[in-house]
Order: sequence, then C-alpha cells, then structure tokens
Amino acid sequence: MEAIHFVHINTGSPEPIYRQLIEQVRRRVAAGQLKAGDEIPSVRELAQALAVHPMTISKAYSMLEMEGVLERRRGLSMVVAAQHHRAQSAALRIELLRPTLQKAAEEAHQLELPKAEVIGLFNQLLDENAQ
Amino acid sequence: MTAPTPHFPHTETPSATLSGISVSYPNGPIVLNGLDWALLPGQVVGLLGRNGSGKTTLLETLLGLREPQAGRVELFGQDAARLDDAARARIGYVPQQSDLFEAFTPAQLMAYFKSFYPRWNDARVEGLMSRWDIARDKPIRKLSGGQKQRLSIIRALAHEPDLLVLDEPVASLDPVGRRDFLRELVEQVLDRGTTVVFSTHILSDLERVAFNLAFLSEGRIALQAPLDELLEQVRAFTGTVTELASLFARLGAQPLKRTPLEAGRERVLARLPAGVAAPHDAQAVNLEDLFTELT
Repeated sequence: MEAIHFVHINTGSPEPIYRQLIEQVRRRVAAGQLKAGDEIPSVRELAQALAVHPMTISKAYSMLEMEGVLERRRGLSMVVAAQHHRAQSAALRIELLRPTLQKAAEEAHQLELPKAEVIGLFNQLLDENAQ
Repeated sequence: MTAPTPHFPHTETPSATLSGISVSYPNGPIVLNGLDWALLPGQVVGLLGRNGSGKTTLLETLLGLREPQAGRVELFGQDAARLDDAARARIGYVPQQSDLFEAFTPAQLMAYFKSFYPRWNDARVEGLMSRWDIARDKPIRKLSGGQKQRLSIIRALAHEPDLLVLDEPVASLDPVGRRDFLRELVEQVLDRGTTVVFSTHILSDLERVAFNLAFLSEGRIALQAPLDELLEQVRAFTGTVTELASLFARLGAQPLKRTPLEAGRERVLARLPAGVAAPHDAQAVNLEDLFTELT
C-alpha cells in the first residue's frame, strides 16, 4: 500500500499523532481492510510520506505490535498479525466506536440537546461520509 | 553505510548545553535570565515563544554568535566561544534573516561555502536545487523570499551537520514548500540522527516533526518535554482554589499555569504524573492551548 494513503493525521488535535495512527490501524484491521500478512509501510516510508518524526511512527507500531495487531517479520517489515484473517463482527467493531460516542453523548447532555436532534445530526454525518 | 538509530534518544555528550545564560541589551530589558537548556543528540526540539520573547537571541547565543553576560555555552562539549574548525563544521544554521551574498548566483554561493567544509554532499545540493526550483545561475538578489529561504536551507544541509539550528525557517514558504522542507528534515533525522532545534509559529509543522517542545518564557526554558506526553498528561482544571489544591495533592499533579477567575475560582493547567488517568471533568488541551498558556 502506498504510504501516503495508509493513514491520515490531524494536527491541532488534543490526540497525539501516534495515538491517531494506532486508532486508525486498529479500525482498519477490525474492518478487514487490512488482513493477516498485509505488509504495512515501513517507519521510513510513513515518516517521509506524512512528514512526521520517525520516532512517532515507531512508537505507534511498537504499541500495535504489543497488542497483537501487527507483527514483525524477519528483517524489519511489519505485517498485520496472523489472527486477523477477516473482519471482526459488527458487535466487536461497534465497541471501538464506544469511546467516541460516549464523549459525544456527554457533550450533547451538557448542551441539553434533545435526543432526536443529536441522532438526526449523526445520521446526517453518516450519510455525508458515505458519499 | 551504517544506519544510525535515530528512533531512540542517545545518551552521549549533549550537542549543546547552556547553563545560567543571561543576556540583556544596553538600556533594555533582560532577554534571557539564567537560562539552562540541553539538546541531546538526535533530538528534534521545537522552540516556542511569543514574539519578542528572545528566541532569536537564544539561538544566536547557543551558536556562540552572541556572547552572554553570564553563563556558559558548550557545543559538542567545547566552549562555544572558542569552537575549533572541526566542531564548527558539524553545525548548520538557517538564520531568520537571509544572509546570502546577493550578488552571487546560487551555484557560486554553493561553490564558495563548499571550500570551508571537509564534507559536502554535492548530490544532495543538486537534487534539492532542482526539486525546489532554484535557478542556479540567476543572481540571488533576483530570487523571491521563498527561494532565498530554500537556498539558505540547502546551504545549511549541504555539509551534513550533526546539529541543525533553524530560526523561523518556513516563514516565507507556502504550504507545499513547508511540507517539502519538513520531509527533508525527516530524511536528515532518519539518515543521520541529526540534532535539530527550530523555532516557528506554525504549530502544525512543529506538531509533525518536533518530538520535543521547549517553551521559552520570561527568559527561561519554562518547560521541555515530548509533545506526546504533554498532550496526554496536561489537563485544564476549573474549580475553587482549595478544591483544586486538594485534587492536585491527591493526583500528584504539578500546576503549570494559574488563571484566577471570579469568586475564588481559578483555571489551572496542570501536568499529571505518567500513567495517572485524568479526572472526567478535566479538559484535554492541544498544542495551541499549550502555546497560549505556557509562553
């Protein structure tokens, strides 16, 4: 896969770049877009493509390796770990969304928004992203 | 070529050490006030400070270009004021104001500087000149501000420095030019494990490449830490002074900046110890918040 399309990062976020990388790789493995044995860009390739410090990339990769999402092949290349041969069930995948929605729910509550309006907005955003 | 290991901090002699540095201008305020700072080999440090906070003065002092009234600067373990040629050749500097010879052409400029250095990467210079669209044979005075800045960066990279100091290196570059420059910096770090310190107000650039951040405030480095750690450990708290004092004592949090509010309340930016989960109602911050509050 071309390094430039592998992940994207947002600057200006309270979420550190290495965390953004971890979350995106986790989601893509969970969705089955990345499968067991798929090679991922090297630290060098991704650092250059994103113009990000290599230590940030290697930190994300090491953590993904520790949690069993990635594994290191002989040499230095990293691949998606063997157990991820197909997409996880929707029931597991939706759990990955829980922290984000939890936070949105808290904020909606603080803003005292009616439930229907919040759901309406979420529906609209889902449709926009699908296009 | 033996691959350096830029992904982990080295533990050898610091590239630069500043101890107890004070600088003031005649009849002016104190710019640097007993400042201590160290740059370790392979670190990429972003220097943050408000306009007029003394970033340029600090970088010039670090390079031995400006003599402090008090304190000592060492580069690669040598006194910066009496640096030998070998140590000098290990430094690359991109000043804020372009100091290129305006009557020269870029080709002449490079040939001139090449004669001063024991090492010079011609292939890299040629590659960058063509990639960055620099007319080799046009007088430098006819180049645009952005082209001069690029040329200044090429000059600083050409002799493959071990310490690279950049003072607002991207101020005249457009977003594409800035991205090209950041990629070059990443490559330099990957290939050579170069120590880099640079100042800029473009926080998104810092966020990408500066693994460590140093905040210059009131003449000192108020805080230096990896950005990842700051984003994960620093939170904004609001409450009464007594509430927050007991909360911080319980969490072991270190207050960084207090802003008094009405009715005995305050907003405090505080750093939690590593691994301590932030309380629910504490607010996460981004780099811009850190810049605003800590400089």
